[in-house]
Amino acid sequence: TSSVLSKDKDTSAASKESTPEGAAKRQEERAGTPKQHLLDIIGNMKVEVSYRKKLQQLKASESKKQAMNELEGLDSEGSVPQGITEDTQRGKPLNPELVKAASAVASSLPHNKKQTVSDLLAQLRRHEETTDKQKKGGTVNIRNVISEMTVKRQSPAQRGARISGRISLQLDEDGRRTRPARSSAQSVLRNTKYRFSFLVYRSLKVGKRLNIFTKASTEPEHALKTVSSPTIWDLEFAKEVAAVTAQPPRNGFEEMIQWTKEGILWEFPIDNEVGMEDDAEFHEHIFLEKHLEGFPKEGPIRHFMELVICGLSKNPYLSVKQKVEHIEWFQKYFEEKKELLQEI
Amino acid sequence: MAAAALCWALRAARQVLPSPCPRQVRSYYVDWRMLRDVKRRKMAYEHADERLRINAIRKNSILPKELQEVADKEIAALPRDSCPTRIRNRCVLTSRPRGVKRRWRLSRIVFRHFADHAQMSGVQRSMW
Repeated sequence: TSSVLSKDKDTSAASKESTPEGAAKRQEERAGTPKQHLLDIIGNMKVEVSYRKKLQQLKASESKKQAMNELEGLDSEGSVPQGITEDTQRGKPLNPELVKAASAVASSLPHNKKQTVSDLLAQLRRHEETTDKQKKGGTVNIRNVISEMTVKRQSPAQRGARISGRISLQLDEDGRRTRPARSSAQSVLRNTKYRFSFLVYRSLKVGKRLNIFTKASTEPEHALKTVSSPTIWDLEFAKEVAAVTAQPPRNGFEEMIQWTKEGILWEFPIDNEVGMEDDAEFHEHIFLEKHLEGFPKEGPIRHFMELVICGLSKNPYLSVKQKVEHIEWFQKYFEEKKELLQEI
Repeated sequence: MAAAALCWALRAARQVLPSPCPRQVRSYYVDWRMLRDVKRRKMAYEHADERLRINAIRKNSILPKELQEVADKEIAALPRDSCPTRIRNRCVLTSRPRGVKRRWRLSRIVFRHFADHAQMSGVQRSMW
């Protein structure tokens, strides 16, 4: 009888927790098995966790009311909070008003007073911690997570296709598998893939931030750590470590790897343009007449230089820079010999 | 963290000092003639471009002959060891000036020695 009484109190407690003002309405609605009552209580307790921030701001009378409700909730599950007694050892001080309220409530009830007081205080402490965590934004609000998820519903046509894909392994007269069965399975797969991608595209950037993952920001730490010049001791240490860790190669493969690292062995497949970083286009190699501006426009020197340019344009082994240097050397040479050329 | 710092220090060390390679490094040439040949090769490499260009002026039928004579004198004024014709392809191991096969840079005696001990890749005693 007492348990039934307590359950009735629980329903009132549940109603009080969810809406502190309108209490009596829900009592009539919640009619059913005690198991349902229990489940309702658990659900309401969860609700209490999420709305704790709002409730925290209420006055002492309301907090007393919550204490009453919590105690009544505890009474129904007397066996459960045995493990909570450990929590009473935590050093966080509770609101003295709450403590007074707890003791008052415990004195009013017929059960073991000390036990109820300790349990109540433990519950209060836990709720305080959860509110602090929520204030910092640490706990995951499951409601938010679940609200974004949608149940993927298969169209009956697709389901029929899938089943048909599984069952229909029809054999030809020869005994080979038919093509359409495979293709239907593939098409079903493609469809599911499309559906999955559609879901992903739709739901990646939409919705509230869940704050499940913390941003791993390690770059600024590394950026701040650069020293201007390494000390000799650092170099020595590094060399020592390298000498110790560099084990002799165990087989031919490791030997070849080591040689490749040192530069003794080329990298395969052989790249013919290793070390040659000629970024110039072909027209810079061939059309070299623009470098001939320092030379006289007529005469044997011009003729000579045009031959030089013709030869350079056909040369694939020199870089553009080398070709330009070649022409400039000639220019310098002929300028030095200008007096001589004037005599002729 | 420590590993990253180590790697960075190692990279810096590599840039500053050459990494210690464990195999043998030749610190002496076989004889003085080989050393002189090495010097000639270096000089020839340095003056190769100039020699090419001055020779291009010299071996010319377009430019006036006076210019070519001047170029002759200029090329003669270059150091004697910069001429590539003074390089002699000696044996790399024994510094023998004669009987050197170009492909292996070895004199015939050394080549035969290694080939008989099967230390020359792809070289076999011929018989037909």
